[in-house]
Amino acid sequence: MSSTANMELKSKEFALVGFLAIAVAVLAALFPNLGANADGNVDWISIPLVGFPIIAGVILLAFASQESRATQKKIAAPIRLASLCFSLIPLGISTALFFDWLIAVDWAILGYNEYVLDSQYLWMESIGVSWHVGMDGLSFPMVWLTTFLVPITMIMTWDEKDGATYHPILLLMGGALIGVFVALDLFMFYIFWELTLIPMFFLILKWGGSDRRYAAQKFFIYTFTASLVMLLGLITLYFLQPEGNGPFHGTITGRTFDMTTLFANAAAYNLGDNVFLGLEMQKILFVLLMIGFLVKLPAVPFHTWLPDAHVQAPTGGSMILAGVMLKMGAYGIMRIPIAIFPDALVYYQDVIMAIGLISLVWGSVVCLGQTNLKKMIAYSSVSHMGVILLGIASMQPLGYAAALFMMFAHGIISPMLFAVCGAFKHHYHSMEIGDMRGMAKWSPFLSVYMMFAWMASLGLPLLAGFVAELMILLAYWPIYGWWILLPGAVLAITAGYFLWSMQRTIFEGGDEGQPPASLNGETPPDITMPENIGMIILAVFTVIFGIFPFIALGMMDDWTVALFEGVFNKGGI
Amino acid sequence: MQTVEAFSSEFWTAFAPETVLLLGLAALFIIPNLGNAKLRIPLTQVKIPWFFGGRRFRLTGAAHLPGLIAVGTLFSAFFLATWSQFDDTFTATVVVAGDIQLLKIDAFSRLFEIIFLGAVFLASMASLDRVPATIFEETDEMEEMYDNRRQADLYLLMLTTALGMSLVALAQDMFVLFIGLELASFATYVLVAFHKESKAGAEGGVKYFIVGSVASAVGLYGLSLLYLWAGSLQLDVLAATWSTNGSEVLPIVALGFILVGFGFKVSAAPFHFAAPDAYSGANSPVAGLLATASKGMGIVGLIRVLIVIATPDVGAGSAIWLIALAVLAVVTMTWGNIAALGSTNPKRMLAYSSVAHAGYMLAALAAVGAWVNGDIEGPEDYGAAVIGAVLFHLTVLVAFKLGAFLVLGLLEMEGGASRLSSLAGLGRRDPLLATSMFIFMMALAGVPPLAGFMSKFLIIAGLVKVGVGEMWAAGGPVSFADIHWVWWLALAMFVNSALSVFYYLRIGVIMFLEPPEEGRRKPLPYGISIRMTIWVCVVATILLGVSGDFLIQLCYSAAETLF
Repeated sequence: MSSTANMELKSKEFALVGFLAIAVAVLAALFPNLGANADGNVDWISIPLVGFPIIAGVILLAFASQESRATQKKIAAPIRLASLCFSLIPLGISTALFFDWLIAVDWAILGYNEYVLDSQYLWMESIGVSWHVGMDGLSFPMVWLTTFLVPITMIMTWDEKDGATYHPILLLMGGALIGVFVALDLFMFYIFWELTLIPMFFLILKWGGSDRRYAAQKFFIYTFTASLVMLLGLITLYFLQPEGNGPFHGTITGRTFDMTTLFANAAAYNLGDNVFLGLEMQKILFVLLMIGFLVKLPAVPFHTWLPDAHVQAPTGGSMILAGVMLKMGAYGIMRIPIAIFPDALVYYQDVIMAIGLISLVWGSVVCLGQTNLKKMIAYSSVSHMGVILLGIASMQPLGYAAALFMMFAHGIISPMLFAVCGAFKHHYHSMEIGDMRGMAKWSPFLSVYMMFAWMASLGLPLLAGFVAELMILLAYWPIYGWWILLPGAVLAITAGYFLWSMQRTIFEGGDEGQPPASLNGETPPDITMPENIGMIILAVFTVIFGIFPFIALGMMDDWTVALFEGVFNKGGI
Repeated sequence: MQTVEAFSSEFWTAFAPETVLLLGLAALFIIPNLGNAKLRIPLTQVKIPWFFGGRRFRLTGAAHLPGLIAVGTLFSAFFLATWSQFDDTFTATVVVAGDIQLLKIDAFSRLFEIIFLGAVFLASMASLDRVPATIFEETDEMEEMYDNRRQADLYLLMLTTALGMSLVALAQDMFVLFIGLELASFATYVLVAFHKESKAGAEGGVKYFIVGSVASAVGLYGLSLLYLWAGSLQLDVLAATWSTNGSEVLPIVALGFILVGFGFKVSAAPFHFAAPDAYSGANSPVAGLLATASKGMGIVGLIRVLIVIATPDVGAGSAIWLIALAVLAVVTMTWGNIAALGSTNPKRMLAYSSVAHAGYMLAALAAVGAWVNGDIEGPEDYGAAVIGAVLFHLTVLVAFKLGAFLVLGLLEMEGGASRLSSLAGLGRRDPLLATSMFIFMMALAGVPPLAGFMSKFLIIAGLVKVGVGEMWAAGGPVSFADIHWVWWLALAMFVNSALSVFYYLRIGVIMFLEPPEEGRRKPLPYGISIRMTIWVCVVATILLGVSGDFLIQLCYSAAETLF
């Protein structure tokens, strides 16, 4: 026996020393000249927002996963507390950046292709890869959203089983997601884009529902395949761009993965009637990139992975998935294809509009027929993502700002929807809409949150979702005219299915209600304290951004104006 | 270029890694056999100590000794090869016997030596645990001696493999290359069948031997045709002859035969049929060796034949093998991946995945061929970028492919790894090992930021680079129709990568989700050296993915020496 114990000790030491060594080596490799920021600013992004959560998550995971199950139970409490504290650091930093406590940022003066905290380090000089981070009005709201959602998710699912590994994975996930949003290098962008798959795969696989195996694999394969298509587009784009000899151009290839250089090249070439690479090539590359982004978004007909993933994912996984991961698709569209292929975008404007409309209509109509609460919410996400595509297809600054705000608002509202579903499942052991009736009787708190989240999602004025929907319809009208009746009607359907499901769940069932059969006659409990805290915070922010949308909308507007001047202006005026 | 005569004093310093291997082989022959034997001088009663045979000395007869000698030898050889790669004293050394060039040291051949010696070194390290030297409690000296003999046999074969592979890397003459290939091949045939306890080992060994010797014979026939045509098997003579009259029928036919011979080595479809049996029959370190170093040996051969000899041709004849190679590449990768989807034995699955990887490398070679043949206008660095990507792939393949086999090896030590369910529950039983295996699988699938992603990325980037060419150089619109067909190979690679994710991911799901098999709930055997080796592989897989820049440059400069 003692020899076995010894062996375990040895392998644990191996693990810890090894992971620490890897972490140090990775850090050393990534940041050869840390702090050498071009502007002389402290680099608040690379380590604090991206590197730290990932490395802290990996080390906590390495530490926890080596323990036996019994020990894991014992150390779950300190580890989840540590994870929560660690996740608060990025939140503090991103909030401080917003309030100008760390550096003075004026988002309004950022021109096209200009970034806050722009820091670039050489990474792989042979093929022109650099570690390039920076934020602008497009990425900052997403970064803040991610840093905000990770601790909320941790609080909301505080008691998840196997907490010793669950919370570090969320921490790791947050770092990877922020990496996607701050990356200004195509290679780095792709790496983080794929890196987010692995923690989510494990979240679904380990903590998911009964059919998690299928859902996790489908999620991974579906999105991985799509991003491979995107990668082919990126590599082709890489080799088609003109050769250069800047500091971040590959010594072997002569090209660079740096997005800012690429945007500048494209914008400089696109003046007048010139079309960067020619319309034919633009169309092909645009389609290749869009396949990757549309699957992630997801838009009909590439959405089939989403309902499976959501229904099987644990509450925390769903919250992050709907709150941030779906936005990666919209963010990618806004960041790369629009800036480089504006002519292809104009060419495919109607197609994108059609895809958006189809997603919107399809998602809503399918929602009407759902009996599973979570599946309904998943399809409602599809329909909301369709609204974002409508905003992009409108080709107007207002529409773009609205799409951005939709991403942001949906990023706050949809986690709350899934949190309500999670609490429902957690306490009533059922996901079926008809199972629980008269919830108001038994669970007043959950009923209130449910009503609030449902109202926010269907677009009640004064809540964040309304602002975005209204703006998108406003931008839609001048371009497509009376076609606006279609999205308008669909918004009515949206209200219909949300209200219908709410009515069946919260109110029906007579004076005493009908507790679900799965409780076996026990009194249905109300939600727990951590869930309460999380939902209150989400609800408060939904109201704040509903009444004062300009807090976030201001920088989005500025970004949109700069984008239109930089990309679609084509040297006019 | 510095030239040295064979067996002159500079020869031994220039070929220090091979010299060390030879010394190690000699030591493995001699040391375990040292005993108290005496030789009686005939017709007298005088016995003089002879030391060979008889009762072995305690020290020299120790069962662990051969393994340690071999590991030490391989490490020194690996170290010397790496050293000489960075210290350019002996780059471009040609050994001349008369006016015949036999071996050549340059960045290209040294890099392959590093790959081969590194792979054999890691496999030998792992074999210390995988084929343990048992010392019986009761002093049964005969048993112990047999066990000792077996250890010595194993490591003799390992060293022979390493020596043969080094010869292949260095060879400047097709015949020397063939000899090196056969030296390594025969050693691996025996290594595959080395596990005589299991039927699968013997069966795999026999199949591998029969198919392999047929392939060798076909390849040799091709070589003889080449000799008939050019009157020499020197690489430079062949290349010169090819550039003048390479479009004749004879060399094309010869090339086809040679392609069969090397195609077997890289396990390209349709010559891969023996590979799954051989891999699943061999013990895991040897299977890992077959999947990495042995494949690399085939790639060296293909590069020598296709890129060095056959491409100076700009005539019509060259296009034949080019298209054939491209088709072969697509068929190979697709076949490998589809077969791997259906296999329920993890080692067979890895074997098929290695077939798929062979397809990726063949695609890269086809792209280089397309460039050298003048289909694509481009600067010098086109070919070097693609060949560099292949070299990078072969180097990092040692890390994750061998690593994956070694994890299976650890499971074999416990009680078999012939079913997917053997891996079940590994995430609970040994999280560290399961994580390592998952990292290897993700690397094989090409998930960033691991080395496997970098290697696939570089190959695809090379294909796209050749396919897209200098289209944008002039500015102005780019037409899709102008893109060379090599670009579609990149698309085929993407489709195949997407296909392959399914079976790699399945391993992860089984490890982390399913409960362990009956009777496999105890901790795994410890095995310090095999675990150390796995760790080296994990660290290399991650590090070469995250910061593989120096290796990319090394591979690129190695590839540049070819052009």
